[in-house]
Amino acid sequence: MSDKTLLHLNLIQLVYAYALILLSVSLARFRQIGQERQMLWASIRMVVQLLAVGYLLQLVFTVRSPLMVILILLTMTGFSLQVMGSRIKRRMPHFYRIMGSSIMIGCGGVTFYFCLLVVGYTPWYDPRYLIPLAGMIIGNSMNGASLAAERLTSEMRERHDELETALCLGATARQAAEPALRTAYRAALIPTMNTMAATGIVALPGMMTGQILSGTEPMLAVRYQIAIMCAITASVAITAFLILLQGYRGYFTQADQLRNTP
Amino acid sequence: MAPSLSTPLLQLQQLTTARNFLTDITWSCQAGELTAVIGPSGGGKSSLIRLINRLEDPSDGQILLAGQDIRELPPPLLRQRVGMMLQKAFMFEGTVLDNLQQPFRYRKEALPGAEHPNLLRSIGLARLSPDYLQRDARTLSGGEQQRVNLARALINRPELLLLDEPTSALDRPTTDSLGQTLLEICRSEGLAVIMVTHDLRLARRISDQTIYLEAGRIVEAGKTAELFARPQSEDLRTFLAEPEEQEA
Ligand SMILES: Nc1ncnc2c1ncn2[C@@H]1O[C@H](COP(=O)(O)OP(=O)(O)OP(=O)(O)O)[C@@H](O)[C@H]1O
Ligand SMILES: [Mg+2]
Repeated sequence: MSDKTLLHLNLIQLVYAYALILLSVSLARFRQIGQERQMLWASIRMVVQLLAVGYLLQLVFTVRSPLMVILILLTMTGFSLQVMGSRIKRRMPHFYRIMGSSIMIGCGGVTFYFCLLVVGYTPWYDPRYLIPLAGMIIGNSMNGASLAAERLTSEMRERHDELETALCLGATARQAAEPALRTAYRAALIPTMNTMAATGIVALPGMMTGQILSGTEPMLAVRYQIAIMCAITASVAITAFLILLQGYRGYFTQADQLRNTP
Repeated sequence: MAPSLSTPLLQLQQLTTARNFLTDITWSCQAGELTAVIGPSGGGKSSLIRLINRLEDPSDGQILLAGQDIRELPPPLLRQRVGMMLQKAFMFEGTVLDNLQQPFRYRKEALPGAEHPNLLRSIGLARLSPDYLQRDARTLSGGEQQRVNLARALINRPELLLLDEPTSALDRPTTDSLGQTLLEICRSEGLAVIMVTHDLRLARRISDQTIYLEAGRIVEAGKTAELFARPQSEDLRTFLAEPEEQEA
């Protein structure tokens, strides 16, 4: 790690940065949007949360205990579940069990594959790599995962007549649900595909920008970015796949009947 | 168990459902017989036939198909033997041909082409000409979709056919000729039909037996001619008297 090129941000400089928030708040006040307090409050939350994470990471980096790292990863998963659960109004049967296991297998699997095979550092639990990479993978997969879950619920509802017709014609539950699953999977993958296609042109990814700012050579930063995009795509694909694979079952009984879902 | 001559094709034994209040339904019918199910709206007619191909299960009682408890059969297989035409005619995306091929896709069998005799037979029985095969199923009229729905239910060559309001979107001449065909398939191929209908004239003309269902119970049942000629209960008398006037 070469810290030499890294420009330090001292407190005064941060205060200058925070002045930009105050500027935004006064603009909002001028237009009387009535949200100035919320804006200030949100900015304070941001500062406090980031500082807290910073201290936590610093602690974790010095302790370097695998147990602690795992605990942090689980907490991250828990938070992501809670966020998704609150964002989705109509949840499929067994929502938390299905989402939790899919994220753990999908995001977790890809994270470890990525850390061990692609980046290949030791020890495997080195928090300096594992935590930010896992965070990036989970954070970026959440959108795809909730899209899959949300779309499955609405498809199963809208396609009620189609599902029943298919069952009457001798389809298994799986066959009847196939069109709904296809639509939901497509919906889950589209944002990730769009992001991939737009990367570098419309948006410079945060990780790459951060690396470049902290002194990494652009080509190396780009390589990392390519690798992480691949990991995110795979993680979305696997997680959404697992959610749908388990999710549709809850709408049927063992006898290939549609269950009455509230 | 091999079905003997005396075993009815279908036996309903003391069926009761918790959710939609069907109570103590006992009934049986033979191969080649056409049964009409009539009764006021919300009386449980659809709920009853949905039990027979296991779209739903009763909370009590059992259903025997050729002497075998239907719960012993894998549901997809049961639903091939017991065809069903739902009250709402759902059309899959694509042509009428695509719709008729759907059951073969589920069974992963070779798809019958537009010339296949079985396919032509089904659409013929449903009073559709072969020109319809290439039409977009979703742009057909309600009555045409209903006939595609019937053709699709016939294509698995079921032993028993459940029909939920098969003629509700058809005019009188089409209804009559379709009814006639149903009766002919029953007689010539030993197909048993259970038909839910509001069309009392149709029920009276083609059915062998009639079940009158009200508030989830069989109020009266028996030979159609007798039931229509001499209704025993006050409810059935009122029911038979009213709708005929509306239709006229
Ligand atoms: N999935 C369901 N959940 C709750 N109640 C239901 C359900 N399906 C049917 N019911 C109720 O069961 C009763 C019987 O309904 P059913 O559809 O069998 O009547 P029907 O005789 O077919 O009426 P119609 O002639 O109007 O089609 C109705 O009161 C209905 O509200
Ligand atoms: Mg009905």
